[in-house]
Amino acid sequence: MQTIFHVDMDAFFVSVEEVFDPSLKGKAVVVGGPANARGVVSAASYEARKFGVHSAMPLRTAYQKCPHAIFLNGHRERYAEYSRKVEQELRAFTPLVNMASIDEAYLDVTGTGRLHGPPLAAGHKLHERVRRATGLNCSIGISTSRLVSKICSDQAKPNGVLWVVPGTEARFLAPLDVRKIPGVGKKTEEALHLCGIRKIGDLAKLDEEFLERRFGKWGLALAGKSKGLDAGGWFDSSFIEAEDPKSISHEHTFDEDTAERGRLIATIAHLSEMVGRRLRDHGFFARTVQIKLRDEEFHTITRAHTLAQASQLDTEIFAEARALFEKNWNRKPVRLIGVHASNLEESEGQANLLDQGTKDRWRAAMSAADRLREKFGDDSVSLAAGLQGRFRRRVDETSTQRLEPEKKDKPKSSG
Amino acid sequence: MEFTIARTDLVRELGLLQGVVEKRTTIPILSNVLVEASSDRITLTATDLELGIRCSCPAKVKKAGSGTIPAKRLLDYVRLLPEAEISVKVGDNHWANITCGRSRTRIAGMSRDSYPELPASTEKVADLPAGLLSSMIQQTIFAISNEESRFTLNGALMLLKGDGLVMVATDGHRLSMSERPLDTGGVSGFRALIPRKAMGEILKLTAEAGADSTIAFSSTDNHLFFQIGERLLISRKLTGNFPDYERVLPKEHPHSVALAKEELKAAIERVAQFSDERSHAVRVQVSAGELKIHSSLSETGESEDSIAATYEGPNVEIGFNAVYVLDFLKACGEPSVAFHFKDAASAGEMRPAGEDVNYTYRYIIMPMRI
Repeated sequence: MQTIFHVDMDAFFVSVEEVFDPSLKGKAVVVGGPANARGVVSAASYEARKFGVHSAMPLRTAYQKCPHAIFLNGHRERYAEYSRKVEQELRAFTPLVNMASIDEAYLDVTGTGRLHGPPLAAGHKLHERVRRATGLNCSIGISTSRLVSKICSDQAKPNGVLWVVPGTEARFLAPLDVRKIPGVGKKTEEALHLCGIRKIGDLAKLDEEFLERRFGKWGLALAGKSKGLDAGGWFDSSFIEAEDPKSISHEHTFDEDTAERGRLIATIAHLSEMVGRRLRDHGFFARTVQIKLRDEEFHTITRAHTLAQASQLDTEIFAEARALFEKNWNRKPVRLIGVHASNLEESEGQANLLDQGTKDRWRAAMSAADRLREKFGDDSVSLAAGLQGRFRRRVDETSTQRLEPEKKDKPKSSG
Repeated sequence: MEFTIARTDLVRELGLLQGVVEKRTTIPILSNVLVEASSDRITLTATDLELGIRCSCPAKVKKAGSGTIPAKRLLDYVRLLPEAEISVKVGDNHWANITCGRSRTRIAGMSRDSYPELPASTEKVADLPAGLLSSMIQQTIFAISNEESRFTLNGALMLLKGDGLVMVATDGHRLSMSERPLDTGGVSGFRALIPRKAMGEILKLTAEAGADSTIAFSSTDNHLFFQIGERLLISRKLTGNFPDYERVLPKEHPHSVALAKEELKAAIERVAQFSDERSHAVRVQVSAGELKIHSSLSETGESEDSIAATYEGPNVEIGFNAVYVLDFLKACGEPSVAFHFKDAASAGEMRPAGEDVNYTYRYIIMPMRI
């Protein structure tokens, strides 16, 4: 039997801002951008949440609900730095740490009883350590599976530690809304409500075959989840496997929809650089490059192309992404644009005969650029094409900025 | 139009045309073969607009004229007829009546008026020995790129020098270059890109005509013409700039090792069973007196073969795509080959070896980084 901790930082971005500006403490704070800007809320303090503000909500709506809130642009580098501090502390506690995003992590502490004591005591110990090292509050969920621990840390919020004693998982989950299950979004929730399923307990009582008929593979995963098992998508993978990235992507939502070709291409260049940088950081070469385009009507397309040779060079990723864009852009104003690299390989594979010199020179240039960025910051060097495409990076607390494990079996819409 | 023809002749000529009959039916008439009868011959023409073949063979013509008949259906049917004279009659309604012994068939044809006109050849550039050209094609065709987007690499470069013929193909990972001495009748500096499909058809047509026959080669701004006996192949030229292949050819290699071709081929074929399905990567290790080929798949297994070799240089390990190496070994006609190399990051080269080799055949392969 495993013992899994889910450590989730409380209002992470806001808490980090408070470290740098203690006057923010106890006030309604919204991170994401100015109140009249186009984007969405990345994070909100608990005071702001009392007024109904939550992450992913349009900033303008947040302003309507909570006009007295302090709206901040946020500081990505500070969050990254604090995320690293938290990770360091967690890794000092136990070696099996899986950072699921910038502000949450799973820890496999199975068999550490003699070192850290019983689960709940260990949880309190870790909770205190994180607070002492970073000055930040977190909530910890403890159970025998990643899934229950995640739900558990949510129930423990804010600033709590909660342990679901082995054997009581189903009883713990039963009274909770189905929406609490990770992976159940608006669509699945609606579909479940249509079948009269509102609580996780309702779901657990159902015949697995019925769920499979109704929702396919995702239904089976739901049945497992409702009983507190790690099932479906990322939860199917083993703890360590989950660290293995399947894709790397970056996307950008424009403050104002734009149909300006130059600006769009510059943004693609900049996103390609960000993707290339991460590929090199992790020592991966991508075989497939994909772009994502969302227009003003929220109509979204993704288009992918597989390269003849795996690459981690910004220029090659950009050339491919640009070609896909030129081929598929319908000339309508674009709301969101993304560059995605997948089919990752650990070696470059077949070398090229015709552009030997060029490629070697680019390789050297990229590695020099990486060293400069490390020293002087991410924006110190850039492809000329990407200069116009720089944007202030908006960080989203809910979606991961790290390597994303591929979501395998979750349907786009259910029912 | 009305004529009778021996079944063998008709089946053979229709068979040679099938490769260029349009398989997709975007332009329906391109699925048809144009049949023209005059005096004592019939001429059969097929084209997909990129490539055209015109064949001709003797027939007893009762009434001159022309018509078009679905090429595949016609061949599929006459193939099943017994060995005898076949009578073909195309009336004003474009239907073809085919009679052979007690078998009678009608096939719906189309008017020849809408059949595209094939370009006409101009004066001859040079005479090329069929055996020589087809051997050079076999030595290069496999290195042509399959990537349609790299259209200048979708064919081979043919170069006529004053004293020789050169053919080069590359897909960006390997390059195959064949050069043979040839009296080109004073023509020098002629270059053209031949599409892969045309090269394949030349192979078929020369196999039919025999290695001793001669090909009359001519060219216009946009087309290439290969007259092989009674058959004419017309190909659109590939446009664009073929890479500067001479820049890619290594000037010299510090190390080389001579090997028996069949032994090397068998070793690589065995070891490659344990290479990645997509990359086909194998490691070639050369050390004093020995060449080793090794490959492993963490989940499946591993394999190694060792070949005794005369070699004194430093230990070198290079990754290669096994398929690329095997392509060369299959195309090379000599019993021994030489492998020239520098290090794990530089292009390697394979050539036929032996004192009897009086031609140039160079095969450059880029290594894999593994």
